[in-house]
Amino acid sequence: MSKRITMDVLKWVTLMAFVMLFLFPFFWIVASSLKSRGEFFTRPPVWFPAHLDWSNYPDSLGRGALKGLTDSFIIAFSSMMISLLLGAPAAYAIARFQVGREHLAFWILSIRMFPPIATILPLFVIFRFVGLVDSYSGLVLSYTVFNLPFAIWILKGFIEDLPREIEEAAKVDGARPLQIFHMIVIPLAAPGIVVAALFTFIFAWNDFAYAVIFSGSKVTPLPVVIAQFAGGHEILWGQISAAAIIAIAPALLVATFLQKYLTRGLTMGAIK
Amino acid sequence: MLGQQERNAARVMVLPAVGLLFLVTIAPLLFSLGVSFTNLQFGSPQPMRWIGLDNYLKLVTKDARFLDALWHTLLLVGAGVVTQTVLGYIIASLLFRIRRGRTILLSAILIPSVISQVVAGWQGRMIFNASYGPLNDILARCGIKGPAWLASQQTALTSIFLTDTWQWTPFLALIILAALQSQPHDIVEAARLDGAHGWSMFRFVTVPLILPVTGIGILLRGVDLFKTFDLVYILTQGGPGNSSETLTFFTYVQGFKFFNPSYASAMSFIQLILVTIAAKMFLSFIRRQRSA
Repeated sequence: MSKRITMDVLKWVTLMAFVMLFLFPFFWIVASSLKSRGEFFTRPPVWFPAHLDWSNYPDSLGRGALKGLTDSFIIAFSSMMISLLLGAPAAYAIARFQVGREHLAFWILSIRMFPPIATILPLFVIFRFVGLVDSYSGLVLSYTVFNLPFAIWILKGFIEDLPREIEEAAKVDGARPLQIFHMIVIPLAAPGIVVAALFTFIFAWNDFAYAVIFSGSKVTPLPVVIAQFAGGHEILWGQISAAAIIAIAPALLVATFLQKYLTRGLTMGAIK
Repeated sequence: MLGQQERNAARVMVLPAVGLLFLVTIAPLLFSLGVSFTNLQFGSPQPMRWIGLDNYLKLVTKDARFLDALWHTLLLVGAGVVTQTVLGYIIASLLFRIRRGRTILLSAILIPSVISQVVAGWQGRMIFNASYGPLNDILARCGIKGPAWLASQQTALTSIFLTDTWQWTPFLALIILAALQSQPHDIVEAARLDGAHGWSMFRFVTVPLILPVTGIGILLRGVDLFKTFDLVYILTQGGPGNSSETLTFFTYVQGFKFFNPSYASAMSFIQLILVTIAAKMFLSFIRRQRSA
């Protein structure tokens, strides 16, 4: 019995050590976002700010983080809507009517493997030609590269899990395929649609590779603002940390909400 | 059997998505493939012409910086996949064995995997700061003089690897926990009754049972490590020198700093081929393990 208790304690101690390791960087940026100017360049470093200086938050919003926040929101929301509007019917057609057999499904999945730089490079040349660089549409369009396959693949999984009988009954009653899709499948697949919506939003929200190349002076998503702050001559530790916390907030909110579906979302539905 | 009406409806439903995906993936890739056989370079006085495989030949035979980047990328993939799988397994098996609090611990551990890589990179910049960062402070308190981390040729790539491992080990822990939880009880029990325990239980029962699911996680991690870009951009910009430059970052430098799209296109095609071959080989390895 005592051996068992020792083992239990050992497991918990190890797990808590891991939890602290994974959460420590968050503690550090939260503390940094609340430090005052003089507290960044001391040796040894200040672990706990002497008093909480909240001025880094409004200051970073004023220096471009607010514009970043708005741009990120507009782009992520649009990317989410396009992914759902085009992805849901495609997912239904692939799940129920096996359009394109496994070839189409596999092609859509394989886009996940592409190094983004392989598509960014030619897209940049094309976007520059048609004037889509440094525009909302350019970024929203380029995010379909990863978000649309994701939405199709996740929704395909959810639709395959639905019982076929209801759709078949509707078909017997004379409903057309498109009617069945929007009057029966969409409501039944609502949980899947919410999952797909939140994940596509977060993926667009978090993206940096496309954002840094397709953005410019007019459109600056939050990750790009943070990178610009961090690459400047004078590094504003407190303001960047504040902006980083602002950037994390929605991702955290969504992740908590999606807890049950995280595995499914992070593996493109390969593991349920 | 599908009726004509259904077949038509299905086509109408996939067409917009497939059309758009074609426009943003296949079409640009074909364009890029064409460009990779030319000498196109912005700002170059030479007229654009067809040069066949020259870009590819130059890359694999003459370009030491490309081969360095390839080596750094392979190191990142290898070290990252192995470390994250081992740590992920340890965390998952601990979580699997506790009776209460699994969900809350898992959600705390998972936070790094849902945030933007830019934020992870920024956290790395602060943690690894040689003079004012907490890591060297902790090391100093233990009597160890910490390295310059991001500013040293010896440790820049290691810092990227550590940041990535911090961010993505929880992801593998999540996958492996799912795999452990889906092991069929009767097989595990039967093995235990047959006297399997410790190493033999792990090697001949647990590993084969969790491999198909874990394999997907490892594959995704390998592919994403191969594409490492954001962390390099934020943490080191490939430096000092080019000691932490990865393939995607070097491609970005060639395309957007040296304005050499033809050379960068050839480079991105080599990456596409490498990642496809590696993924296919890995998948067939997993399939063989499963049937064996």
